[in-house]
Amino acid sequence: MGLVELLSTYGQDYATALFTTWWMTAVSFAVVMVLSVGITVLRVCPLRPLRAVGDLYVQVFRNIPGVALLIIVVYALPNLRVVLDYRTCVIVTTVLMGSAFGSENFMSGINTIGVGQIEAARSIGLRFSQIMSRIVIPQALRSAVLPMTNLLIAVMLTTSLGSQVPLSPQELTGIVSYINTRATGGILAFLIAALGYVGTAAVIGLVGNRIDRKVRILR
Amino acid sequence: MTQHTEQDTPVIELRHVDKHFGDLHVLRDINLSVARGEVLVVIGPSGSGKSTMCRTINRLETIDSGEVLIEGVPLPEEGRELAAMRAELGMVFQSFNLFAHKTILENVTLGPIEVLGQDRASAEKTARELLARVGVAEQADKVPAQLSGGQQQRVAIARSLAMRPKAMMFDEPTSALDPEMINEVLDVMVELARGGMTMVVVTHEMGFARRVADRVVFMADGRIVEEGTPDEFFDHPKTDRAREFLDSIKGH
Repeated sequence: MGLVELLSTYGQDYATALFTTWWMTAVSFAVVMVLSVGITVLRVCPLRPLRAVGDLYVQVFRNIPGVALLIIVVYALPNLRVVLDYRTCVIVTTVLMGSAFGSENFMSGINTIGVGQIEAARSIGLRFSQIMSRIVIPQALRSAVLPMTNLLIAVMLTTSLGSQVPLSPQELTGIVSYINTRATGGILAFLIAALGYVGTAAVIGLVGNRIDRKVRILR
Repeated sequence: MTQHTEQDTPVIELRHVDKHFGDLHVLRDINLSVARGEVLVVIGPSGSGKSTMCRTINRLETIDSGEVLIEGVPLPEEGRELAAMRAELGMVFQSFNLFAHKTILENVTLGPIEVLGQDRASAEKTARELLARVGVAEQADKVPAQLSGGQQQRVAIARSLAMRPKAMMFDEPTSALDPEMINEVLDVMVELARGGMTMVVVTHEMGFARRVADRVVFMADGRIVEEGTPDEFFDHPKTDRAREFLDSIKGH
């Protein structure tokens, strides 16, 4: 099958798949950011048990292969009477992994703040929650833009786990498998999908750089 | 409480304060009181525990035993009560520690808005007055990294003053500054002292100590070795340890 034929036959499927990938990426990343902040707050809070929980979360979900985690989510969660549809399973898997890495990004952002500013904040009478919300999180967010840009791209690529479960509509990697089982698209079918990933990543990178230049903190 | 006892209660009092860093005994039975309006200068060789002592006053350093009292009330150990007590004590650090992501004006208004519950407009008005008082009014809309060290330290002083503190601690406020910027910061501190602020100043600036201090405390090896008026201490030190120290910083 040539390029023209591939596109004329499956163009609509590719477009739908690209949008599905975008949608899953956006939803996953939004949750990743919220969860990353939460886990990071746990990891720096004054209570040792909570810090341990945060650290454990990161160690666990940073070190499990995505496919293995997906299998656990799909097959193990129903035993706990949590039955999710396949698309949600993929998003949950992506979020669990992504937020472990996201928290690491925030931690390195926090480490650039320096204990001095925290002490200054304490000595004007700010409480832990105020120090977090006014001093630490804003600075951590602003210095984590570039690593978070990378994470967004990684989250997008991780949604390709969706090709391992029956999704409807399928995402970008799943659609290639679908096409290749019905026709002989071969490497070309993959390349079209790759173009979708690469193009999206390029835009993400560009926007990320712009945001970083705008919000970067002078030191 | 009668007028009389309020006058007599020290603003800051340390009773039998002890602290270790691991095996190192950094504070040994420190007893100290600072009266209202008094300017206390703490000097001593590095490693003598003077910064640590200064930082125990608002519990940036915890203590192993003893008591820290603010206006006769024991310093709370943690939580809201501690935060509320800290809000009443100003602290100026060696490394300025301005909030890097906030403008100069926001640095000064943050405490009054968040902790004292002032509205933005009146907090900003006060902040601009304070910034003018320390001579950095034109810098209000810049961020800390755009200011010189001397300017940043003056902003840090304004940030503390905005909380209307009962007393202010200065932990080597000029040690990180280039020589030409030291005086601009000391001038602000002299003016504060003249205005009646209760101050604890850890410093190596002997000229400042002589001119401004009501009392000099000399620390070595975690102990208060000697205390007295600046004239007594600088001209007639009583202990060998103090004499050695004064000799070692003289004559260049």
